[in-house]
Parts: sequence; C-alpha cells; structure tokens
Amino acid sequence: MELISDKKDQLIDLMLKMYENSTEAIFFFTSDGQTISMNPAAEKIMDVHALDQLKKGAENALCNVCRGYTSESDLITCKDCYFTSSNHEDFSSFQVFLETAGKGVIPYAATFHVIDAEKGTRVFILRDLSIQFETQTKLQQNTMMKNIIKAQENERKRISRELHDSVAQELLSAVVDLRALKYMTDDKAVLKKTNESTATLIRLMDDIRNLSLELRPAALDDLGLEAAFRSHFKRLEESYGLSIDFKSTIERNRYENEVETVLYRICQEAVFNAIKYAYVETIQVNLFEEGNILQLIVKDQGAGFIHGGIPIGTGLGLYGMNERAELVLGNVAVSSEIGEGTTVHLRVPLEEKRGMAK
Amino acid sequence: MDDTKEYQLQIEKIREALGCDIIALALVQPAENLHVLKWQYASGNISEGLKKVVLQSGKGIAGGVFKLGKPLLVPDVKEFAAKDDLFNYPILRLENLKSIGATPLWHSGRVVGVLLGGFRDPHLMTPEKLQMLISMAKSGLSKLDGKELMWN
Repeated sequence: MELISDKKDQLIDLMLKMYENSTEAIFFFTSDGQTISMNPAAEKIMDVHALDQLKKGAENALCNVCRGYTSESDLITCKDCYFTSSNHEDFSSFQVFLETAGKGVIPYAATFHVIDAEKGTRVFILRDLSIQFETQTKLQQNTMMKNIIKAQENERKRISRELHDSVAQELLSAVVDLRALKYMTDDKAVLKKTNESTATLIRLMDDIRNLSLELRPAALDDLGLEAAFRSHFKRLEESYGLSIDFKSTIERNRYENEVETVLYRICQEAVFNAIKYAYVETIQVNLFEEGNILQLIVKDQGAGFIHGGIPIGTGLGLYGMNERAELVLGNVAVSSEIGEGTTVHLRVPLEEKRGMAK
Repeated sequence: MDDTKEYQLQIEKIREALGCDIIALALVQPAENLHVLKWQYASGNISEGLKKVVLQSGKGIAGGVFKLGKPLLVPDVKEFAAKDDLFNYPILRLENLKSIGATPLWHSGRVVGVLLGGFRDPHLMTPEKLQMLISMAKSGLSKLDGKELMWN
C-alpha cells in the first residue's frame, strides 16, 4: 500500500510541476463554465481584462479572447461552440483562435474534455501553433520555389528547342527557296528585292536563335558547361561591350544535368548583376574543382553594394541564386564592399554518383 | 580603303559643325557578316569598345532607330534610361553620354544605317541640333557603299 501511495505522491508532484512549468496553457472549468484554475502559461497569454474576468469566474469570460474554432465547414466559427456544446467527444483535438496579449490572434491546438464526470469538471489545454505554422509555411514556400524553378527550366527548354528546331529551320527553308530564285529569273529588280528579303529573313532567323539561346542554350544540353559558358560570354561581350575573363580548369566534360543547369543559371545571374550594377569593363569568371567540390567564382572590381541594403533591382536575384544552389545541395556566398567590388562564390558538392553523365 | 576614309572624314566634319562630343555611324554589315548592325565609324569616342558591340535589331539606340526608322532625341539620358537599365545601351555607358540624337539612313525603302550625335553633358542635344545632324547627313553622307541614300 505504501508503494502505491508513494507512486501517487510522485504523480501529484509531477502533475503540479507540469501545471506550473508547462509551455501549454491549462485551464480547469466547472460544469457551468466557471474558471477553477489556470496555470502561469495560460495567464501569460491573457490580457489584463480577460484575465480578470476569468479569475472572477465571470460568465463567458473565455469569449473575451476566443475568436472561434475551426470546424469542418469554417476556418473560424462560433457555431456549435466547444465550450457550451453538450457533445464533448468532438473536442478532444481541434484548432482554436485566441486573441493573445501582445501577439494578436494566434492559432492553438486545443483539447477540451471532462476529467471528472461526477462533478463535470473540464480541462482546456492549448498549445501554440504559430511557430509550427511558420515552419510549415517556409517549408511550403521552399518546395514551391524549387518546383517553380524546375517547371520554368523545363518550359524554357521546350520553347527554346521549338524555336531552334522548328521555327528557325522553317525560316532557313524559306531563305533557301528565295536564293533559288536567282536561277529562275534574270530580272534585276526582282533579284534585288529578293536579296533584301533574304537579308531580312536572315536577321529574323538570328533574332529567333538569340531568343532560343537566351531561354536555354542548346550547348548546355549538348556540349556541357564550358562550351555553354564560352558562347554565352561571347554573346554578352558583343551585346554589352565589356570583356569577360573566363578561366576553367575543370577536367570532366559533363556533370549531372541538374548541376550544370544550376551552375549556368547562377553564373548567368551573377554576371548579369555585374553588368547591370557594377559599372565595370571586365568581369572575372573562374570555374574549377577542388576537394570534390565544383566551384564557380564571379568577381568584379566595381561599385559593390551593402548586404541588407535597399536593392536597386527586385532583390530577388540573390535569393533565387541560393534557392537554385540548394536544389543540388550547394551554397552561394556573396561578399561585397562599396567601391571594392563583388564576389559570388558558388560551391556544389560532387558525389560519385554525380559523376560523368556521358 | 577610300570609302572608309571618306566616311571618317565626313563624320569628323559633322562633329565639328555640330560641336558634338561624339558622332557615330552604325551600318548594316554585308551578307557575309550576317547583316548585323555595328557602330563602324566613330569620331570623338573614348574607347574602341564601342566598335565591338553587335547590335541586335530593336535593341540599344541603333537597334531602336533601325527598327522604327524614326529619328530619336534624348535630351537627358537620366530620364531615358533608369540606372539599372543603362547597360542595355552600351554606347551611352561606354562613352558616358548624357544627351543624344540619332537618325536612320534610308536606302531603297530600308534603313541601312544609323547616325548618332552625342554630348557628355545633359540637354545639349536639342531638336535644332538633331535637325542639323539630319541635314548634315543628307549632304555629307549622300552615298553609302556606293548606294544613293534616300531622303524624304
């Protein structure tokens, strides 16, 4: 008998400690809804007025802070209130929204049930869900972002291929047809006009090729990173009148498709940022492998910027670079100083299974 | 080549007459160069980087004038291109231009070139100056690649 009594004491002690120190808010109510007791965690979330009402055991005191619970039909409702409903079985686990002191309306995981059938005493326990919700939202955003990046890449690939393989090809046929005209007529005026049309078509073809390249370079899929970088930089030099100093010491020709895409896109973004904001004539790009980590450094000695400052652009570029790097378990470090320039350093770990794709 | 010298001489002359900081002439390259548009001649330029730039149709100053076939007046570059947009206009960036005017050069119903006059200070290019540029081009650059230019 002593043993049982010891156990009981121990349990009472534990229960008291839990009541005092729990981060969960615990309330005890009588069968007619008056507060018997509430623990420190519960008192902490109530504002002064509500606390006063609850302590006094005023009628519907909880309604001062309760904004409703989530039912099958509504996110927040007072219909069939858990507090007054006769069917207590339904409220062993539900979500309730409370107006809390200092933090506004917060969702709580709640349980409300009878612990003493004779007296009708009920317990109401609340667990703060806001942190869990934040984690969930972040997780959701991350997954969403990654899926969007993947979808965008696939769609770009499709349109790029379509432009390159079908639209540009058809145009080429038209150019060939027009060139054949010179064997069919000697009319100078006609030939002159066709020559001009040919020039226009060739220019149009060039525009379409450029579009296709901008969307996604075929070289990236067919020839690999180095080739794609070289042609990309050549185009940039031609378009923007600056020089890009590209050094590559990678030995492998091909990497996993995903790795290549991530590297290409991050490099594209970093170089473009330098073109847009650094006001420089030269940009250095280094591509190398070290310690089984594929690394890319994009460096300029330009204007630089302050981390966390107000961005000139959308400010999404740097965020996007990180998101992309995470897709292949890599990371991006950006260091910059006003007047000193900016360095973007990307590291992507190479696993054995990520070896040569071809 | 004589033609080259002739062009260079003409744009030097135009620059002197207008008092511009720079005059640049973009021409459509011959068929073997895929008809791309390049700033082939320049007078008063700071760097030669300008001549490396290949202009895509519709892009940049020359590309825009080329595609629209209309003169362009930019009294103040700051109002024309935002700070993060300037890179799209290599000639403005490379030559640090603050106000420009440009006109298309026509040949048999097509734009074959673009003539640009620019200043390194804002508001120096005026409608009158642009008119002068156009009329100087008419008299000085009446022939391009041996082709008569058309003026309407």
